[in-house]
Amino acid sequence: MTAAVAATEPLGPLEPRRGLRSGFPYWVESLRCMFRYDWGRLRQWVPMTVVIQTCMGAGMVLMYGFFYPQITPERALFIATGAPTLSLIPLGFVMVPNGVMQEKLGGTFDYVWSLPVRRSAQIASTFTLYTLMALPGTVLALLVATWRYGVHLSVSPLLLPAVLLCAVMAVTVGYGMALLIPNPLVTNVIVNALIFVVLLFSPIVYPASQLPGWLFDVHRVLPFESMAQVMRAGLSTGLATDVGLSFAVLGAWTLAGCAAAAWVVGRRH
Amino acid sequence: MASSDAAALIPPFAGVERGLGRSLRDYLSMLRWHLAGIRLWIMLLSAVQVLAGVGFVLGISLFFRHIPTSAALFVSTGVPVINLLLVGLVFGPQVVAMQKNAGNYEYTRTLPVNRAVNAAAWATVCLAAGLPAMVISLVVAELRYGLDLQISPMIVPAVLLTSFAGTMIGYAIAHAIGNPMATQLISQLIVFVIFGFAPILYPISQMPGWLATLNWWFPFRQMAVMVRAALTPMPGSPVGTAYLVVGVWAVVSAGLAAWALGRRQ
Repeated sequence: MTAAVAATEPLGPLEPRRGLRSGFPYWVESLRCMFRYDWGRLRQWVPMTVVIQTCMGAGMVLMYGFFYPQITPERALFIATGAPTLSLIPLGFVMVPNGVMQEKLGGTFDYVWSLPVRRSAQIASTFTLYTLMALPGTVLALLVATWRYGVHLSVSPLLLPAVLLCAVMAVTVGYGMALLIPNPLVTNVIVNALIFVVLLFSPIVYPASQLPGWLFDVHRVLPFESMAQVMRAGLSTGLATDVGLSFAVLGAWTLAGCAAAAWVVGRRH
Repeated sequence: MASSDAAALIPPFAGVERGLGRSLRDYLSMLRWHLAGIRLWIMLLSAVQVLAGVGFVLGISLFFRHIPTSAALFVSTGVPVINLLLVGLVFGPQVVAMQKNAGNYEYTRTLPVNRAVNAAAWATVCLAAGLPAMVISLVVAELRYGLDLQISPMIVPAVLLTSFAGTMIGYAIAHAIGNPMATQLISQLIVFVIFGFAPILYPISQMPGWLATLNWWFPFRQMAVMVRAALTPMPGSPVGTAYLVVGVWAVVSAGLAAWALGRRQ
């Protein structure tokens, strides 16, 4: 025993690291590490997310159809082009906040914050992964909807920025909301109430012109109608015109979500 | 030795109390117990009931440029069924699943109360939680659409059976299914079904044929038939069949729950 200890080289005192690691290369390295860490955590949820999102999107599209005595071609087109939005809203506004809630309750949240990587890299990694996770379910919901209603979609290049912006917006706002509200149970109540109000009172599967004036004005500020509008512009011709304002609204909400997240993340406990 | 001497001084029970008086007292105790349990959730439950009831009554008109009277009538007479089902069928199983996860489920099973009495108390609480929401939804529907509702005395058995059957189905889902995750999943699936995939809020003719046939065997459509027949003079499916189907579901579910609660672990 004594011989074994004597055989090892005596260790010198631990030296502190010279200088703080910083700069853009370090940020990129942090992001890479966080991608690996987050992917390891999130990948077990990917199949479930895709299934839930597809079921929510496609299920709601079928459900809305049952409420109409006759489904005219125009109505069918509105419902089908609403499908991607219907599958993104539950992901961003229910599943992401719930994920954050679980992390807060489990302590993972504090652990991640204690890691020696830039917090902006942590957030960027989470946002990117959730956005990528959102895409397959969104596409599947759209496919089910077009099959059910037999509508012909004319896909334009606008669809790509539309889908990406909608997904990023839903994820950032959901995440920002979950961070801003300290009590996980309050988050739970809010998201569940929100989803109901949104799915019933938002012009996603019907034209906004059917809303009363005040609700129409409210939806010019809220992101839900804008999501449906930009998706519709990417999937059809003539249904949604002048979507510049909708893109601006979505951009503003994304920035607000990022700002909320940055404010909470940058603050000390 | 001193401790066993002390134990000998505690008098044993003078016999087990039985009979109607005991059941009645237990029923009242369990009523208080369930009401106290639900007290924590009262805000959330009221919000959900109002959103589901009044929200749907008002929201449905946005789906149409001009809402047809028949669509308004269907939603307005279907929403009471959802109000009656939410607590017993959806909320109850979720609470039991949470209790199973938290570990206090076993404790509630050890209470010295007859399980049928306990179930009766819970069914009463569910009925009491559904009735005000149902009335509010109907009043809002009447104010919004000016419907020609004609409430017949059959509303009493229709509401009682709907609420009781919903609560018993929820009871079976909560107690007869061992895995709390499965219970939660099924109760969430049921929310989806009662809002969209059972013809409660819209006529059955608007569904694909196979789904309509499937719904004949399930209780939700039949509950809507019972309640609707008591609220409007609209001709619909034969009400007798509806009572029979819902009654069978109630009895079978109650039996399943009794079996699950009565067996030893």
